[in-house]
Amino acid sequence: MKEINPALAARRKFLKKLGRAVTYTGAVIGAGTLVNAQSTAAKSEPGAAGGSFPTKDYDWTKHRWSYGVDATKCIGCLRCVEACKLENDVPATAHHFRTWVERYVYLEGEDKPRIDSHHDPVNIEASGSQREYRFANSYKDAKVDKAFFVPKLCNHCLHPACVQVCPTGATYRTKDGVVLIDHKYCIGCAYCVQACPYGARFFNYEKQVSDKCTWCYHRITKGLQPACVEVCPVGARIFGDLDDKKSAISQFVRNNRVRVLKPETGNAPNVYYVGLDKDVI
Amino acid sequence: MPKHIFRLIVVLVVFFAAASIAKWYFTADSFYKYGHYRADSVPEIAAQEPVLQTARYCQSCHSERHAQWSANNHKSVTCEVCHGAARGHPQNGKLPIPKDTAKLCSLCHEAMPERPRTQPQVAVAQHSGGQQCIVCHNPHAPKLAGVVAPVAGDVAAGGSKHAASCASCHGEKGISPNDSWPNLAGQHAAYLVRILAAYKSGDQKDVVMTPLAQPLSTEDIQNLAVYYASLSCVAPPSQSRVGDAAAGKAVAANCAACHGETGVGSNPAWPNLAGQKPVYLVNVLKAFRAGLRKDPMMAGVTRGLSDADIANLAAYYAAQSCQPATQVRNKP
Repeated sequence: MKEINPALAARRKFLKKLGRAVTYTGAVIGAGTLVNAQSTAAKSEPGAAGGSFPTKDYDWTKHRWSYGVDATKCIGCLRCVEACKLENDVPATAHHFRTWVERYVYLEGEDKPRIDSHHDPVNIEASGSQREYRFANSYKDAKVDKAFFVPKLCNHCLHPACVQVCPTGATYRTKDGVVLIDHKYCIGCAYCVQACPYGARFFNYEKQVSDKCTWCYHRITKGLQPACVEVCPVGARIFGDLDDKKSAISQFVRNNRVRVLKPETGNAPNVYYVGLDKDVI
Repeated sequence: MPKHIFRLIVVLVVFFAAASIAKWYFTADSFYKYGHYRADSVPEIAAQEPVLQTARYCQSCHSERHAQWSANNHKSVTCEVCHGAARGHPQNGKLPIPKDTAKLCSLCHEAMPERPRTQPQVAVAQHSGGQQCIVCHNPHAPKLAGVVAPVAGDVAAGGSKHAASCASCHGEKGISPNDSWPNLAGQHAAYLVRILAAYKSGDQKDVVMTPLAQPLSTEDIQNLAVYYASLSCVAPPSQSRVGDAAAGKAVAANCAACHGETGVGSNPAWPNLAGQKPVYLVNVLKAFRAGLRKDPMMAGVTRGLSDADIANLAAYYAAQSCQPATQVRNKP
């Protein structure tokens, strides 16, 4: 077909022009972005070269934080929960918390454990306050087969589902392995609260943002231990740098058969447990 | 180019330009610096001030207490677990000294089937009979071993030793003739043994007492202690008026946990204060406050006392009956 239909010819001409227009517009935008990127790079370089990040005494590329829980040592005193709330300005109700301790009790003749935590009504009644926590001695006269406490907190996963679902880039994983929330960018949609398979996040109604454990990032970057580890009287909570082979956490992970919670979710959690029972998830 | 096409292109260009300007304007400078987040938020979070200050911070002022605590069984329980977060202390005031120790201590030590067996646990109701834990246990050095070692001595031998060496100052019947020297009659034997042994070893020094205590054998000390403990503490009221007993009663509420409400304590490791000589009490309290007499517990509790508080306390205890309240009531 040599003779081209004039209508088709016109269409071809239009498409050519449109193609060119798109190319040029793309080039302009591309060039603009490139200039923009270069200016950002130019801005960031002096900072990166002139000192460490995020503070002048602390370089986040030199650490790989991790956390251990020895459930066989926990006595359920809940000092960690109270210390965490003091340290991190968590709303003063029993139902908002960054870390918590679960109690598992297997009674004789029952196949499932009874599980409760400090915000169970029985335990709120035992403490008599929403700000102070204690476990009610509910099982002192019961026939207990087996019972233990399990401290829990954010697992600071390598592939965190919460970060994946955040629509605004308000939550992210730092280079030293801590998952943080930027409260200025958080719009409070709470997708991340839903996404976390561990229930580690909660909605902070006072600040109208999502909230969770930061491993006390403001403490660990100053050479201190997280508040919960600092106050634990029995050493059930261990924190440290996996890159430092002599650190408490390196030894904990090396010397114990550790496991993580819900590995099948693919989040690759970073809190290592010792002494969990089969029913602990 | 047809007009409508040109217009379309113009609209598209304007849209893309506006969109990229908006994105540039609304995105924080640091947003893509390290990833899909605002890099500046990391130093913002790292800059928060710690609330818990660690035991090392407390040590800078409370070194004596810190030394005792860190050498004993509660060294894994940091200061702020019981006394609260230290940020703003001492600028913004004192930290609390827990009053209800039965509640506080039971957080860790109440017997529960969920707790690991290695944790020291007691059924609180049976163990203490409703008393506060610090009646017997020093929270900074909780183990009682040695503190209330039983005292076994010979009262008669103690009596003759007393007549030979001590009676000239402490009185024939252990009731001292002046208000600066302590009454010893009716005092807890375990306390007397501890104090005499401290003079002997040099842990506690006194111009008069040190040379007198040094030649005493361990047996002498035991004999003396049981002798004084066997005497009646009833003494004539002292003449000195050092302070206001009513005002002292309010201050004494802080001492009641160890020394009893009226200065008659239930733990033999700690002295009875009721009916004691007021000038002696003033001198001892000031010595504790100045660090001349060494005791971590007393150093802590006397640190905040003014001279007036001390005088009032001494007046209050001097005015109390030295016998337990029940015995006083039984008298006709």
